[in-house]
Amino acid sequence: MRDLKHIIEFEQLLEEANNDLVRQAKAEGKRALGYTCYFMPEVLLDLPGCFSVRLRAPRSTSPDMATYYMSNRTCMYGRCLLERALEGGFNFLDAQMATETCTVTCRFQEHLQMMDIIQNPDFFCEFTDVPFKKNENSIEHFMGQLEAHVLKPLREHFGIDTSDAAMLKAIEEHNEVCRLINEIGSYRKLDIPTITGREFQIVQLVSLTCPKYLIIDKLREILADLKKRKPDKKPAWRCKVVLAGSEDDDPDFTKLIEECGALVVADRHCYGSMPGREEIVVKEGESPLHAIAAHYLNTSECPRFMEQHTMRERKEKLAQTVKEYKADGIIIEQMKFCEYWSYERTIDTIILPRDYGIPVCSIEKEYVNNAIGQLRTRFQAFVESIEIKRLAARNQEENTPEKQEDMA
Amino acid sequence: MIFKTFEAKEIELKPKELLKALGQKLKETDYKAKAAAIKEKAAGAAEKLKNLDAKKLVSDFWNGKPHEERRLGDLYIPGTGLYKHREWRGVKDTLYYFNMIWLYNYAHMVTDIMKYGNLPDFIKGTLRYRWMGQTYLTVMHWFDRGMEGMRGPALRGSAWHYRGMTSETIRQFQAMFASDKKLHGGVANDLWKKHIAHNETVSGCIFYPWRDVLDDVPLEMIPYFVTCHVNNHTVLNYIDAAQSIGLPADPCPMCQAEYGIFVLDDYPDYAPIMITSNEACDGSVATSILQDWFLNRPLFAMPQPMRYDDPLVQKHCQKEIEACWKFVEEQMGIPFSWDQYVKYAESFNKLTEFEHEKWDVAANTDYYPINGVAQALYRIYYSQDGDRPIWHEVDKHVRKIMENSVEKKINSFPKTRHRVIAWSCAPLYYSNWCTWAYNCWGLNCVINMDSLMFDQMLRTDTYEHALEDLAWFNEKAPMRAMAVGGHEHIFQLWEYMERFNCDMVVMYDQLQCKGMQGIHGMFEDEFRKRNIHAIWVPHALPDKRTVSRREIRQIINDYMTTVMHEEPLDPTLVDFEDGDSW
Repeated sequence: MRDLKHIIEFEQLLEEANNDLVRQAKAEGKRALGYTCYFMPEVLLDLPGCFSVRLRAPRSTSPDMATYYMSNRTCMYGRCLLERALEGGFNFLDAQMATETCTVTCRFQEHLQMMDIIQNPDFFCEFTDVPFKKNENSIEHFMGQLEAHVLKPLREHFGIDTSDAAMLKAIEEHNEVCRLINEIGSYRKLDIPTITGREFQIVQLVSLTCPKYLIIDKLREILADLKKRKPDKKPAWRCKVVLAGSEDDDPDFTKLIEECGALVVADRHCYGSMPGREEIVVKEGESPLHAIAAHYLNTSECPRFMEQHTMRERKEKLAQTVKEYKADGIIIEQMKFCEYWSYERTIDTIILPRDYGIPVCSIEKEYVNNAIGQLRTRFQAFVESIEIKRLAARNQEENTPEKQEDMA
Repeated sequence: MIFKTFEAKEIELKPKELLKALGQKLKETDYKAKAAAIKEKAAGAAEKLKNLDAKKLVSDFWNGKPHEERRLGDLYIPGTGLYKHREWRGVKDTLYYFNMIWLYNYAHMVTDIMKYGNLPDFIKGTLRYRWMGQTYLTVMHWFDRGMEGMRGPALRGSAWHYRGMTSETIRQFQAMFASDKKLHGGVANDLWKKHIAHNETVSGCIFYPWRDVLDDVPLEMIPYFVTCHVNNHTVLNYIDAAQSIGLPADPCPMCQAEYGIFVLDDYPDYAPIMITSNEACDGSVATSILQDWFLNRPLFAMPQPMRYDDPLVQKHCQKEIEACWKFVEEQMGIPFSWDQYVKYAESFNKLTEFEHEKWDVAANTDYYPINGVAQALYRIYYSQDGDRPIWHEVDKHVRKIMENSVEKKINSFPKTRHRVIAWSCAPLYYSNWCTWAYNCWGLNCVINMDSLMFDQMLRTDTYEHALEDLAWFNEKAPMRAMAVGGHEHIFQLWEYMERFNCDMVVMYDQLQCKGMQGIHGMFEDEFRKRNIHAIWVPHALPDKRTVSRREIRQIINDYMTTVMHEEPLDPTLVDFEDGDSW
């Protein structure tokens, strides 16, 4: 397929956290607010006067300074972020809106809070406690936390308008981005998709890391371009997969999978669009903050949710995604040292093939992808195993008595 | 003459030749030289006797040898860590040890079986569960390890703590066995219907409203946590089992072991419902989720907020506790009893009050009669378990010993060179490191992090106050309060160092605890800034294969010699192998 419109520009934007669009928005007087986790509602950080930047540490190598502070036995994502911060790569941040969600990112953000790392006199880091359940008690608690630890500091430090009207406007703009991303992503549902997993991931990542008002027109153009885009006559992929798991903000990792013959048609991971790009619905009579709190708790598929029905629904939802996107299997990736996903991956690897008949390729990876050789072998073997299963199923189908009678 | 051996080998015997050779030998013997040698030996012995300090001999016999002369390391069978024989502690303490510790506890380990259940269930449980079969008879060695070198009030006070833990352990496993479906042909008996299972990290205080009619027993406390202290080999099997189904090796090994018990179907099925918690880390949450797939029964998750300093989280936490109570009511069909809650909460407050008194003595005097391991294990056990009669019985004995010790100004740890605070989570397979560290180096572990948790009195004047305090109590559970859940709590170390007059830190470095690993460098910076001697002790909670006990000792030895430039009090304890011991 020919190059997707803006894709090269988007790729370049992802090479730096403090990219051209971030600098432009800062120059326009907007406040840059960093965050790491889906549980920090980006819509609140995109209120008029500020913009959200989901933190990445692209082009990381060995996080030596961060390893002194966090040891080499913690998730490399957290360490690479700290390394980047220590290098000065996050000095553009005006605030870090932190969440107590997974331990290592929490610790990374505590370093920002305690040590004088971010060289910006306005900088502050504020923590929000995130509940472990999706019930009304949790929603109320989360609302209180967002009011106290997000809205109030934004008002007090930067004079941001946090009124209901401002929130409704932010929701509207957020929903517009979500609609565009979802529509772009829907081309992955086609029998022969006209967008690759890597291309989609680039678009999704740009929407997380750049000021939305500066990319929304580009998203519209990408969508218009996709409507006309034709697939290759002979597609390069041999099967379609859902990519699920922990933190993944590396389009090259998706590229690696796709080079092995597996087209990534759905992204159900920490920086993915499912969940992530569902529209926020404000019911009649509901406060926008309540809608936001409920939305982020209810849509999250994070393995930290502990209720019995939630843990079971997660498997069901993943199986449904495979069906919806006509995928042949799932690749479940887990960042090395991510405890939530090491357990979730283990149980997914058992449950999904056993109870849903879905082939699973289960892998551990690092933030800086060094083990490409081994991973390539794993993915190639997985693709082959899917092809073998497909052939076996076809053979079985052809050998049914009805078919043989027809042939006779 | 022909002699036939067992192997039917024939040997020809020649008696004449043998006698001839013997005569020749006798002729050649130099009897004068032999006599001179004997004389010389006798003179040497006489000289020794002459120089012998009879008074010291009597004193050593009566009081036991002074610390520096004990040579406790010589008591081990080389290469095993097992004892050739127990040490002589002087007449009084040896007799006390034999009667009031060894014999008393062995006898109670038999009578408690009958008191808390019945013999057939005990036998079935011992044969069915690996963790049970492998640990029961090693209990007294666990006492020996913990009490090594102890004398006087320290021996008595610490042993009472151990006795309490042993008794409560027997009560818990007998309760599990009596109602265990697996031991009763898969049938749910009446007792099964009267039990509540919960994570070992859910506090027993939550279930006070039903303590008169239902019995709450933590699911992993005995199968994994307690047994690991008594016999560190037991748990390895469960860790391997967890990894055998695809779990990576890096998550917290405590969670792995808890999970492995389920993989191997080695948990008793003794209750219709399960309560889980998020204490304290990502691994703990994830383990609860995995266990749900195996247990497959009504489960209530009772997470508590991690950032509990925030006043805004309190209501949320209280509502979760109330929801848990409602769940128990609905599932078990027994209403919440406020009177029962009050009864047990007030009784438990007495334990907390005494704990505060103990801390006061430990912090401000040299007369605290509890050693580091007894303090750490007893405190975490009873505060997690909640109010039980045995804790009051133990505290009664300990109070008497402590008051006597303070009154008579008896320093139970006279060779203390450094007052140590142990911070972060401890190696379960070497909880008695502090006994060794005192005997070998004079490092007196006065207090540890886990002891300082659950530091909350439970008000009972109104329901609202009760709920408020119970929420606080649970929020201050061991790992949530310190290892994770905000750096503010971990850095309370400096305040506690001052409060307990400590001059040294043993910093447990749990290699797989992401919360503690994630803040490693900041601690290093602070130690340097504050000029504090801190010994980092790496370990993997229950998994002794990652860092062995011997390696832990070596790390402390190295610090004491190369940094502190000190000589060991007992050189025989510096290095020995005990990898094969329990």
